[in-house]
Amino acid sequence: MLQGKNIVEGWRSYLVQGLLLLLFLILIGRYYYLMIVFHEKYAEKATANHIRAIPVLASRGVIYDRDGNIIVDNAPSYTISVIPVEIKNKPESLDRLSEIMQVSVKEINRRIVKNRRGSFAPAKVFSRVPFPKISLLQEHRLELAGVTYSIEPIRNYVSDIDLSHALGYTREINRDDLERFSKDLDYQPGDQVGWKGIEKYYDSELHGQRGFRYIEVNALGQEIGEIVDRRPINPVPGHDLILSIDSFIQSITEKALADSSGSVVILNHETGEILAYASRPSYDLEMLSGRISSKDWNALRKNPRNPLFDRGVQGLYPAGSTLKPLAALYSLENLSNARDRTYTCRGSYRLGNRSFGCWKKAGHGKVDLHEAIQQSCNVYFFNLIQDIGLEDWAHLAREFGFGQLTGIDIPGENKGLVPDTKYMNRKYGEKKWTKGNLLNIVVGQGDVLVTPLQLAQFAGMLAQRGFQYQPHFVNKIVSKSGEIIRVNSKQAEKRVIASDESWAFMHKAMWAVVNGPHGTAKAARQKDWEIYGKTGTAQNPHGEDHAWFIGFSLDERYPFAWAVLLENGGGGGGKAAPLIGRILRSIARKDL
Amino acid sequence: MIIRKYLFDRLREFDWGYLGLAILLSSSGLLAIYSIEVQQDSSSGYFLRQSIWSVLGLVLFFGVYFLPRKVIHNLAYYAYGVGVVLLLIPIALKQGGTVSRWISIGSFGIQPSEFMKIFLLVALAKYFADHKRKLSTIKELMAPFAMTIGPTILVLLQPDLGTALVFLGIFIVVIFWAGIRPLYFFLLLTPIVSMIAAFQTVSFFVWMVLIIVILYFSNMPFWTKVFNFIINVALGGITNLLWALLKPYQQQRILSLIDSDSDPLGAGYQVSQSLTAFGSGGPFGKGFGEGTQTHLKFLPEQHTDFIMTVIGEEFGFLGVMIVITLFYFLIARLINHSYGSKYRFDSVILIGVAAVMVFHVFVNLAMIVGIMPVTGLPLPYISYGGSFMVTAMMMVGLSANMASVRRMTR
Repeated sequence: MLQGKNIVEGWRSYLVQGLLLLLFLILIGRYYYLMIVFHEKYAEKATANHIRAIPVLASRGVIYDRDGNIIVDNAPSYTISVIPVEIKNKPESLDRLSEIMQVSVKEINRRIVKNRRGSFAPAKVFSRVPFPKISLLQEHRLELAGVTYSIEPIRNYVSDIDLSHALGYTREINRDDLERFSKDLDYQPGDQVGWKGIEKYYDSELHGQRGFRYIEVNALGQEIGEIVDRRPINPVPGHDLILSIDSFIQSITEKALADSSGSVVILNHETGEILAYASRPSYDLEMLSGRISSKDWNALRKNPRNPLFDRGVQGLYPAGSTLKPLAALYSLENLSNARDRTYTCRGSYRLGNRSFGCWKKAGHGKVDLHEAIQQSCNVYFFNLIQDIGLEDWAHLAREFGFGQLTGIDIPGENKGLVPDTKYMNRKYGEKKWTKGNLLNIVVGQGDVLVTPLQLAQFAGMLAQRGFQYQPHFVNKIVSKSGEIIRVNSKQAEKRVIASDESWAFMHKAMWAVVNGPHGTAKAARQKDWEIYGKTGTAQNPHGEDHAWFIGFSLDERYPFAWAVLLENGGGGGGKAAPLIGRILRSIARKDL
Repeated sequence: MIIRKYLFDRLREFDWGYLGLAILLSSSGLLAIYSIEVQQDSSSGYFLRQSIWSVLGLVLFFGVYFLPRKVIHNLAYYAYGVGVVLLLIPIALKQGGTVSRWISIGSFGIQPSEFMKIFLLVALAKYFADHKRKLSTIKELMAPFAMTIGPTILVLLQPDLGTALVFLGIFIVVIFWAGIRPLYFFLLLTPIVSMIAAFQTVSFFVWMVLIIVILYFSNMPFWTKVFNFIINVALGGITNLLWALLKPYQQQRILSLIDSDSDPLGAGYQVSQSLTAFGSGGPFGKGFGEGTQTHLKFLPEQHTDFIMTVIGEEFGFLGVMIVITLFYFLIARLINHSYGSKYRFDSVILIGVAAVMVFHVFVNLAMIVGIMPVTGLPLPYISYGGSFMVTAMMMVGLSANMASVRRMTR
């Protein structure tokens, strides 16, 4: 019935029209609210959605030796990552990656899970990948959807010198350090920071500042391109360090130490510059740069010879006879008739019912101060200390830098121990310690603890007649544009006051140690230049004696002062003195 | 001669409003699709194909417009029958337990459910025109209900929840228009409300109290009231059962409305990205081709259901308002013409088309801004999709036909 009449009542029409209007008003209200009222909020969200700031790592400062030879610079390291969400759709990519890298898919998956930072963020699966593998990856990139690689600079040890303990190494910054540093410096997660040694001490100079480039990404986080209207922030490269280290001396020092446990510190006593610094056994910095397997790390840590331990500034040892010059100098300055005093050594010294031996069982006979230093006669010093108070001795020791930090520019230094009355009272109780303790102290035993660096500094101060120069590794800090940021001071900072006669006496006696007929360090003697020194044989409760030899040269070509320590090396004259003798001979030979 | 006069008359009576609105709306859609495509590296071909569909739609618009009412009336049930058969084909051809929404013809597919919308409303129009009733009893609703529920079940099998709801929407609007008593209308709607209210104890309890009050004051036989009440309680009770029968993605779509962050990469992700696109568009938009949400593929299905986000992001609130206003004019015009029609057949067809339009427009525009569940309904004329473009064009062609000036004399 096509002609059937329309019988809709008016109210139905109005109701339907009203409902339509209501629905559309709801829509308009919602769109107004969304697009006008909350426009700002969503505009920000849209920006955050598609703009990513990609950090551009700053290259770390280069470390040079004193002559401008590169010791450490940076090399590219390739890291392979996968994007979890893309791998999920293309599992065959993993099979291909596994073939190329020769690592099982299972292991790759394990690393993805471990390093995952979200479905769209690349998860690291291989680091320090050799370049040929990267080429292979490039060749097969069409079959490797979701696999990406990136280049990060890592430390590259160019020089063949080791210097591991002084240089230290870098590590990826951890959460704690991030919180600690980020207050004043621009550190970000993923940054490499100095973890030990010079790398740590000078990190704020070496580190530089990362830059950013802004890219546009799509919903999958894939890069679309650079953002044109947002200029990239260029990274600021770190400053370069010019060390005081002399690569030649360092190299022969390392060779001379070879496989022994011990330390050699050679410095320029006119400036405080450290010319050579070795601690043995050592470790391979290459292994520690970037990522180290926990297996290798544990092997290093648990090695009974403790290669990670920096003996030069952290090792605390009894100083042995190398400390005798302290009492000698004190007596020259403060005791009457000091240079003519003689004591008779019969091989031992009795105190109450205890006997304190000299190293020479037969005894040195009647010796004066000069002979006592040259022959390192204990009995002479046992007698001498009877006239010196512990407090005075300790004061002089501290003036020479013992018992306190040298302020060397690497972290982790130990300050050692100079026992004074207060310390002895605390340790043994008041009046519970005796002259006997004093006898040990004067010959550098007992409670005295020193580091090789402190002894090298001591030798340098003896050479400089009491002037102290701050020992340091870094001579200059230079920006990439060549601007000098800092020069470490070469001025003497302190001085131990003594008369010229006293210094001359000391020099003469120490010359005799090397050159005299009864000297204990004849092995350090050089053909055409004068060597001064003092041996030490430190008794070690845990094993064989430590061998010490400290000394200096006043030759203007070689203003060197040094300390040599050979752990469990036996006698200082027998082991330590020949070692420095060999080093000095090599230096002289090179200059011929 | 007669034919020439007919065609001449038809042209003289031609309603430019429907054609104009349809062209304006489909142009907006083409603009948005062009914006998506212009930025992509490889051409997806959407713009070209949609243009072809639009032109084909315009041809069919006139085809339907020139179709004599009598022919439409006579063929209504046959067309309905063909529509049902077309809906059965994908079910008969189902492979591996999945039913397709598509019937492939050569390289392109058609969606029979889209055309079924027209066939259903024309069939309902014929039914109500032929049975000149005021719908005073429930019994009189049985035939139109059967006509609707058949195709509804068939599309639910596909499964296409959105289209099924459109069919029910047509039915509800048409019976209201056809003069159902308000109380019956209320009783008919109660089961739906009961099922929704059953998701929450308090709302279900309040709703039940309301039903009791209304039933108490109605003048139905006592046992009818009791029966009605029990039906509602039972429906509420089995809602959870029905919920469990829904596909997980359908459940997720409804759930993600409640908390759009619950599923950041599913339906909630779509809505969240869509909100960002609209909100960042602001009053005047980022400009043509400048939408970052659009071009960086943050929006899945941006050329189909989420097409308005492109307009919102690039042309802003202003652009959205223009489109919404155009839709309002179109639907208000349909309702006006429906009310003003001289004949019931015309009136029901017009209100049926209005129902389809309202349903699609409101649900689509509401779901993309997070005030309705993501049901997967395209926006007429604007969303990419050939079948629906053609259907929508045919619907306005049919409306223009029915709304011819001649018969608007009531």
